Amino acid sequence: MTQISDAKKRYDEIPIPEELSGVVRSAIDYSTVRKKKIRKRQKSRMGKKVLAAAAAVAVMFTLGLNTSTAFAESMGELPVIGPVARVLTFRSYEKTTEDLSISVDIPSVEMIGEDSGLADDLNEEIYARCEEYAQEAVQRAEEYKEAFMATGGTEEEWAAHNIEIKVWYEIKSQTEHYLSFAVMGTENWVSAYNETRYYNVDLSTGKTVTLQDLLGDDYIRIADESIRKQIQERSSAGEAVFFTEEEGGFTGITEDTKFYINEAGNPVIVFDQYEIAPGSEGMPEFEIVKE
Amino acid sequence: MEKDLYEILIEYILEDQNRFYRLAYSYVQNKDDALDIVQNAICKALERYETLRDAGAVRAWFYRILVNESLAVLKKKKEVPLPDDGAGGEIPYHEKGYEIQDDLYEQINRLNEEVQTVIKLRFYEEMTLQEIAQITGANLNTVKARLYRGLKTLKQNIQEVDA
Repeated sequence: MTQISDAKKRYDEIPIPEELSGVVRSAIDYSTVRKKKIRKRQKSRMGKKVLAAAAAVAVMFTLGLNTSTAFAESMGELPVIGPVARVLTFRSYEKTTEDLSISVDIPSVEMIGEDSGLADDLNEEIYARCEEYAQEAVQRAEEYKEAFMATGGTEEEWAAHNIEIKVWYEIKSQTEHYLSFAVMGTENWVSAYNETRYYNVDLSTGKTVTLQDLLGDDYIRIADESIRKQIQERSSAGEAVFFTEEEGGFTGITEDTKFYINEAGNPVIVFDQYEIAPGSEGMPEFEIVKE
Repeated sequence: MEKDLYEILIEYILEDQNRFYRLAYSYVQNKDDALDIVQNAICKALERYETLRDAGAVRAWFYRILVNESLAVLKKKKEVPLPDDGAGGEIPYHEKGYEIQDDLYEQINRLNEEVQTVIKLRFYEEMTLQEIAQITGANLNTVKARLYRGLKTLKQNIQEVDA
């Protein structure tokens, strides 16, 4: 087929834009800087920062509840989660600077008729994590800009990047027994740092629900078997592609595996993009039906 | 040892960047998306470089990330069609005197994604079927089947045009 070589010729003639080498260079610089930072941070652990943030939250909570009229006004429109708890937006802000725009909605859980403070630890953790993510994302964007400018980028070119950082939440289910919601952070210019955390609360105790609570002591075996079966079913039906074990695919869950609880009360295990499947599969989910 | 692989990876990226761009472009057909794909693929590759075990496999390893990234963008674009404001639509690159032969290039881009990936890697990037199997995560027989399926479709379409 001589025409294949014509097609190849046309492919080879796809013009290379001037920006390419700058984009490549800044991606490398960015990753390399970040790699060094992570190293450094791992050495000196970062507990201090989180503790400071948590301490700040304690003050914020009291202030927020007592003084913010917007806070009180918006209470009426909040999604009510069953009779005993609700999720509300504890803090929300948007900011646009020359370099980036950021929008943050931080949720908190309120146990109605409970003053025991069961939800407080959870709320503090959510708050600290949201703020930390937002700060890190801003820092990443700033580092990226630095690398971009250092490799000959101009302010106009930078402005065209439209950097957007978003932190928000989504309620997954609300039942008599459980409240399950996801808190997400994304940066539009690089998907590698997108993060989703799930919070599952047992409404009778205010404590976090574990897979063990839902599936029993044998939860690892139950979940592993179910996931393996579902992977096989989806692969053979041609619905999805997964990595094999040798390629870094699914090797079994751990107690830290992420999940949320669906309306049926079943845990739904979620894997990160690329964790067990090609990126085009997004974040694969597996509902585990109790035996 | 660890540092060596990281450096090898960077050298490889710098050397083959034009190839990455062309492959990404061939999927999305516009400059901005293609640049984004290359950028994301590099960030992800460097972040996950520990999973590259053998310097000899660097090309297949990197292309796997690149192809996945391209297909993910393509998938996303299909889900959310962009409003046609004229800014996104770039005029495809044409050279005079190509009108008839051009068809094959366009037709390859219209093939099903799995099939066009195999065709592109085989004929444009001149990779072995074994390498393509590693990149796409499919086994060798599946890759062969996709290749033949693709060639057959292309042949049929060309005959229709000729007739």
